[in-house]
Amino acid sequence: MTEQDHRVRGVDHVAFPTFDPAATVRFYRDVLGFPVVHSICAAGWGPENHPDFIHFFFDIGNDDRIAFFYYFGATPQVGGPVGEKGDVYARFGADVPEYFVRSRHLAIHVDSEDDLLEYRRRLDASSWPVEMQIQHETIESIYTHDPNGYMFEITRAMRPVTPQEDDDAALTIDALLDVVAGPEPTFGKLLARKAELIVERVPV
Amino acid sequence: MTTLYVLDVPENTAVVKIADEDPEVTVGRRGWYFEISSAGSIVVDRRATGCRHAVWYSCVAGVGRDGRITQHDKNALRVDPV
Repeated sequence: MTEQDHRVRGVDHVAFPTFDPAATVRFYRDVLGFPVVHSICAAGWGPENHPDFIHFFFDIGNDDRIAFFYYFGATPQVGGPVGEKGDVYARFGADVPEYFVRSRHLAIHVDSEDDLLEYRRRLDASSWPVEMQIQHETIESIYTHDPNGYMFEITRAMRPVTPQEDDDAALTIDALLDVVAGPEPTFGKLLARKAELIVERVPV
Repeated sequence: MTTLYVLDVPENTAVVKIADEDPEVTVGRRGWYFEISSAGSIVVDRRATGCRHAVWYSCVAGVGRDGRITQHDKNALRVDPV
Protein backbone atom coordinates (compact mmCIF):
# COMPACT_ATOMS: atom_id res chain seq x y z
CA MET A 1 0.00 0.00 0.00
CA THR A 2 1.39 3.45 -0.93
CA GLU A 3 1.98 5.80 1.96
CA GLN A 4 -0.15 8.92 1.53
CA ASP A 5 0.49 12.40 2.95
CA HIS A 6 -1.01 12.65 6.39
CA ARG A 7 -2.29 16.24 6.35
CA VAL A 8 -5.02 16.41 8.96
CA ARG A 9 -4.48 18.26 12.22
CA GLY A 10 -6.57 16.75 14.97
CA VAL A 11 -10.21 17.19 15.87
CA ASP A 12 -11.81 20.42 14.66
CA HIS A 13 -14.94 19.63 16.63
CA VAL A 14 -17.11 16.77 17.71
CA ALA A 15 -20.80 17.63 18.12
CA PHE A 16 -23.64 16.29 20.26
CA PRO A 17 -27.21 17.36 20.97
CA THR A 18 -28.20 18.63 24.40
CA PHE A 19 -31.58 19.23 25.98
CA ASP A 20 -30.05 20.84 29.05
CA PRO A 21 -27.77 23.68 27.96
CA ALA A 22 -27.61 25.15 31.48
CA ALA A 23 -26.14 21.98 32.99
CA THR A 24 -23.94 21.47 29.93
CA VAL A 25 -22.42 24.94 30.33
CA ARG A 26 -21.99 24.36 34.07
CA PHE A 27 -20.19 21.07 33.44
CA TYR A 28 -17.84 22.11 30.63
CA ARG A 29 -17.28 25.83 31.32
CA ASP A 30 -17.76 26.25 35.06
CA VAL A 31 -16.64 22.90 36.49
CA LEU A 32 -13.96 21.86 34.01
CA GLY A 33 -12.94 25.38 32.94
CA PHE A 34 -13.20 24.73 29.19
CA PRO A 35 -13.63 28.19 27.59
CA VAL A 36 -16.62 28.90 25.35
CA VAL A 37 -14.97 29.74 22.05
CA HIS A 38 -17.65 29.92 19.40
CA SER A 39 -21.38 29.86 18.96
CA ILE A 40 -23.89 29.98 16.14
CA CYS A 41 -27.44 31.25 16.68
CA ALA A 42 -29.54 30.07 13.78
CA ALA A 43 -33.18 30.68 12.88
CA GLY A 44 -33.99 27.28 11.42
CA TRP A 45 -31.63 25.73 8.92
CA GLY A 46 -33.31 25.29 5.55
CA PRO A 47 -35.85 22.52 5.89
CA GLU A 48 -39.29 23.63 7.15
CA ASN A 49 -39.22 21.34 10.15
CA HIS A 50 -35.75 22.35 11.34
CA PRO A 51 -36.01 24.10 14.72
CA ASP A 52 -34.20 27.27 15.64
CA PHE A 53 -31.01 26.34 17.43
CA ILE A 54 -27.84 27.37 19.19
CA HIS A 55 -24.62 25.56 18.29
CA PHE A 56 -22.00 26.26 20.93
CA PHE A 57 -18.39 25.20 21.32
CA PHE A 58 -15.95 24.62 24.18
CA ASP A 59 -12.18 24.53 23.75
CA ILE A 60 -10.79 21.13 24.80
CA GLY A 61 -7.14 22.13 24.32
CA ASN A 62 -4.92 21.98 21.26
CA ASP A 63 -7.51 24.25 19.58
CA ASP A 64 -9.80 21.21 19.35
CA ARG A 65 -13.43 21.68 20.38
CA ILE A 66 -16.47 19.88 21.72
CA ALA A 67 -19.74 21.37 20.45
CA PHE A 68 -23.41 21.05 21.31
CA PHE A 69 -26.69 21.70 19.55
CA TYR A 70 -29.58 23.04 21.56
CA TYR A 71 -32.81 22.94 19.56
CA PHE A 72 -35.57 25.28 20.78
CA GLY A 73 -38.78 23.42 21.44
CA ALA A 74 -37.27 19.95 21.06
CA THR A 75 -37.59 17.38 23.84
CA PRO A 76 -35.54 14.22 24.36
CA GLN A 77 -38.39 12.24 22.76
CA VAL A 78 -37.36 13.69 19.37
CA GLY A 79 -34.74 10.93 19.24
CA GLY A 80 -37.24 8.17 19.99
CA PRO A 81 -38.53 6.68 23.22
CA VAL A 82 -36.36 7.44 26.21
CA GLY A 83 -34.49 4.24 27.09
CA GLU A 84 -33.25 2.78 30.31
CA LYS A 85 -29.58 3.07 29.36
CA GLY A 86 -27.45 5.34 27.24
CA ASP A 87 -27.45 9.09 26.71
CA VAL A 88 -29.74 11.71 25.19
CA TYR A 89 -28.59 10.76 21.68
CA ALA A 90 -28.50 6.96 21.99
CA ARG A 91 -30.93 5.08 24.19
CA PHE A 92 -30.93 1.38 24.90
CA GLY A 93 -33.14 -1.20 26.56
CA ALA A 94 -32.20 -2.89 29.82
CA ASP A 95 -31.07 -5.99 27.92
CA VAL A 96 -28.29 -4.22 26.00
CA PRO A 97 -24.95 -5.12 27.59
CA GLU A 98 -22.98 -2.42 29.40
CA TYR A 99 -19.81 -2.99 27.37
CA PHE A 100 -21.75 -2.01 24.26
CA VAL A 101 -23.48 0.99 25.82
CA ARG A 102 -20.11 2.30 27.06
CA SER A 103 -18.16 1.61 23.88
CA ARG A 104 -18.69 5.02 22.27
CA HIS A 105 -17.05 7.76 24.28
CA LEU A 106 -14.83 10.81 24.10
CA ALA A 107 -11.43 10.79 25.87
CA ILE A 108 -9.58 14.06 26.34
CA HIS A 109 -5.82 14.00 26.78
CA VAL A 110 -3.75 15.52 29.60
CA ASP A 111 0.03 15.50 29.88
CA SER A 112 0.59 14.51 33.49
CA GLU A 113 -0.75 12.90 36.64
CA ASP A 114 -0.95 16.39 38.17
CA ASP A 115 -3.25 17.53 35.39
CA LEU A 116 -5.39 14.40 35.67
CA LEU A 117 -5.81 14.87 39.41
CA GLU A 118 -6.65 18.55 38.95
CA TYR A 119 -9.60 17.58 36.73
CA ARG A 120 -10.53 14.88 39.22
CA ARG A 121 -10.61 17.57 41.94
CA ARG A 122 -12.83 19.85 39.83
CA LEU A 123 -15.27 17.05 38.99
CA ASP A 124 -15.40 15.69 42.53
CA ALA A 125 -16.39 19.14 43.81
CA SER A 126 -19.27 19.27 41.31
CA SER A 127 -22.58 17.50 40.73
CA TRP A 128 -20.72 15.13 38.35
CA PRO A 129 -18.04 13.44 40.49
CA VAL A 130 -15.58 10.98 39.02
CA GLU A 131 -17.20 7.55 38.79
CA MET A 132 -14.02 5.58 38.11
CA GLN A 133 -10.29 6.23 38.14
CA ILE A 134 -8.46 3.37 36.49
CA GLN A 135 -4.81 2.67 35.72
CA HIS A 136 -4.86 0.44 32.65
CA GLU A 137 -1.13 -0.08 33.30
CA THR A 138 0.00 2.03 30.36
CA ILE A 139 -2.63 4.77 30.66
CA GLU A 140 -4.58 6.23 33.54
CA SER A 141 -8.10 7.59 33.11
CA ILE A 142 -10.90 9.21 35.02
CA TYR A 143 -14.49 8.76 33.92
CA THR A 144 -17.82 10.37 34.55
CA HIS A 145 -21.00 11.05 32.60
CA ASP A 146 -21.76 14.60 31.52
CA PRO A 147 -25.22 16.11 32.12
CA ASN A 148 -26.43 14.62 28.83
CA GLY A 149 -25.39 11.09 29.77
CA TYR A 150 -22.35 11.13 27.46
CA MET A 151 -19.46 9.12 28.84
CA PHE A 152 -16.58 11.49 29.46
CA GLU A 153 -12.98 10.38 29.97
CA ILE A 154 -9.78 12.25 30.68
CA THR A 155 -6.63 10.21 30.17
CA ARG A 156 -2.86 10.41 30.49
CA ALA A 157 -0.17 8.13 29.11
CA MET A 158 1.98 6.51 31.79
CA ARG A 159 4.82 6.06 29.31
CA PRO A 160 5.41 7.28 25.75
CA VAL A 161 4.10 5.08 22.93
CA THR A 162 7.02 3.16 21.40
CA PRO A 163 7.65 2.76 17.65
CA GLN A 164 7.14 -1.01 17.91
CA GLU A 165 3.56 -0.46 19.06
CA ASP A 166 2.78 1.40 15.84
CA ASP A 167 4.34 -1.42 13.78
CA ASP A 168 2.42 -3.99 15.82
CA ALA A 169 -0.84 -2.11 15.27
CA ALA A 170 -0.28 -2.21 11.50
CA LEU A 171 0.15 -6.00 11.63
CA THR A 172 -2.93 -6.36 13.84
CA ILE A 173 -5.10 -4.47 11.38
CA ASP A 174 -3.84 -6.41 8.36
CA ALA A 175 -4.47 -9.67 10.26
CA LEU A 176 -7.93 -8.46 11.26
CA LEU A 177 -8.86 -7.58 7.67
CA ASP A 178 -7.78 -11.05 6.55
CA VAL A 179 -9.76 -12.74 9.32
CA VAL A 180 -12.97 -10.75 8.87
CA ALA A 181 -12.84 -11.46 5.13
CA GLY A 182 -13.20 -15.17 5.96
CA PRO A 183 -15.95 -17.09 7.73
CA GLU A 184 -16.58 -16.83 11.48
CA PRO A 185 -13.81 -14.50 12.64
CA THR A 186 -12.40 -15.34 16.07
CA PHE A 187 -9.63 -13.99 18.29
CA GLY A 188 -7.77 -17.28 17.87
CA LYS A 189 -7.82 -16.92 14.07
CA LEU A 190 -6.54 -13.37 14.40
CA LEU A 191 -3.58 -14.43 16.58
CA ALA A 192 -2.74 -17.26 14.16
CA ARG A 193 -2.86 -14.91 11.14
CA LYS A 194 -0.83 -12.30 12.99
CA ALA A 195 1.86 -14.87 13.82
CA GLU A 196 2.10 -15.61 10.07
CA LEU A 197 2.47 -11.92 9.27
CA ILE A 198 5.18 -11.55 11.93
CA VAL A 199 7.12 -14.41 10.33
CA GLU A 200 6.57 -13.02 6.81
CA ARG A 201 7.34 -9.38 7.44
CA VAL A 202 9.48 -8.92 10.53
CA PRO A 203 13.19 -9.50 9.99
CA VAL A 204 14.81 -11.95 12.43
CA MET B 1 6.44 -26.70 17.81
CA THR B 2 4.37 -24.23 19.83
CA THR B 3 5.23 -20.61 19.17
CA LEU B 4 3.96 -17.55 20.99
CA TYR B 5 4.84 -13.97 19.99
CA VAL B 6 4.93 -11.16 22.56
CA LEU B 7 5.69 -7.54 21.69
CA ASP B 8 8.76 -6.09 23.39
CA VAL B 9 7.31 -3.28 25.50
CA PRO B 10 8.27 -2.72 29.14
CA GLU B 11 5.12 -4.14 30.73
CA ASN B 12 5.34 -7.41 28.74
CA THR B 13 8.84 -8.38 29.87
CA ALA B 14 7.60 -10.20 32.99
CA VAL B 15 5.44 -12.48 30.83
CA VAL B 16 8.49 -13.46 28.77
CA LYS B 17 10.67 -13.93 31.86
CA ILE B 18 8.20 -16.29 33.53
CA ALA B 19 7.68 -18.26 30.30
CA ASP B 20 11.46 -18.64 29.99
CA GLU B 21 11.73 -20.26 33.43
CA ASP B 22 10.51 -23.53 31.90
CA PRO B 23 13.63 -25.35 30.64
CA GLU B 24 11.62 -26.75 27.72
CA VAL B 25 10.92 -23.22 26.49
CA THR B 26 13.22 -21.22 24.25
CA VAL B 27 13.00 -17.43 23.97
CA GLY B 28 14.36 -15.79 20.84
CA ARG B 29 13.78 -12.55 19.01
CA ARG B 30 12.11 -11.56 15.79
CA GLY B 31 12.44 -7.82 15.39
CA TRP B 32 10.35 -6.15 18.09
CA TYR B 33 8.86 -9.46 19.17
CA PHE B 34 9.91 -12.12 21.61
CA GLU B 35 9.50 -15.52 19.93
CA ILE B 36 8.69 -18.01 22.69
CA SER B 37 8.75 -21.61 21.51
CA SER B 38 8.52 -25.11 22.88
CA ALA B 39 8.16 -28.66 21.56
CA GLY B 40 5.25 -29.00 24.02
CA SER B 41 3.06 -26.57 25.89
CA ILE B 42 3.91 -23.04 26.97
CA VAL B 43 2.43 -22.10 30.35
CA VAL B 44 2.71 -18.70 32.07
CA ASP B 45 1.45 -18.21 35.63
CA ARG B 46 -0.24 -14.82 35.86
CA ARG B 47 0.52 -14.16 39.52
CA ALA B 48 4.20 -14.85 38.95
CA THR B 49 4.24 -12.17 36.24
CA GLY B 50 2.67 -9.54 38.49
CA CYS B 51 0.58 -8.40 35.48
CA ARG B 52 -2.81 -6.94 36.12
CA HIS B 53 -5.91 -7.01 33.95
CA ALA B 54 -5.08 -4.80 30.97
CA VAL B 55 -1.57 -6.03 30.19
CA TRP B 56 -2.33 -9.67 30.98
CA TYR B 57 -5.24 -9.94 28.59
CA SER B 58 -3.50 -8.07 25.77
CA CYS B 59 0.05 -9.42 25.96
CA VAL B 60 -0.24 -11.98 23.12
CA ALA B 61 0.78 -10.71 19.68
CA GLY B 62 0.48 -13.99 17.80
CA VAL B 63 0.27 -17.77 18.09
CA GLY B 64 1.81 -20.01 15.42
CA ARG B 65 -0.64 -22.37 13.70
CA ASP B 66 0.93 -25.39 15.39
CA GLY B 67 -0.34 -24.13 18.73
CA ARG B 68 -3.57 -22.92 20.24
CA ILE B 69 -4.43 -20.96 23.39
CA THR B 70 -6.34 -23.34 25.64
CA GLN B 71 -6.35 -21.13 28.74
CA HIS B 72 -6.07 -17.37 29.17
CA ASP B 73 -7.71 -16.40 32.44
CA LYS B 74 -6.81 -14.85 35.77
CA ASN B 75 -4.62 -17.84 36.64
CA ALA B 76 -2.59 -18.66 33.56
CA LEU B 77 -1.89 -18.39 29.86
CA ARG B 78 -1.49 -21.80 28.26
CA VAL B 79 -0.64 -22.60 24.66
CA ASP B 80 -0.89 -26.27 23.69
CA PRO B 81 0.30 -27.98 20.53
CA VAL B 82 -2.54 -28.61 18.08
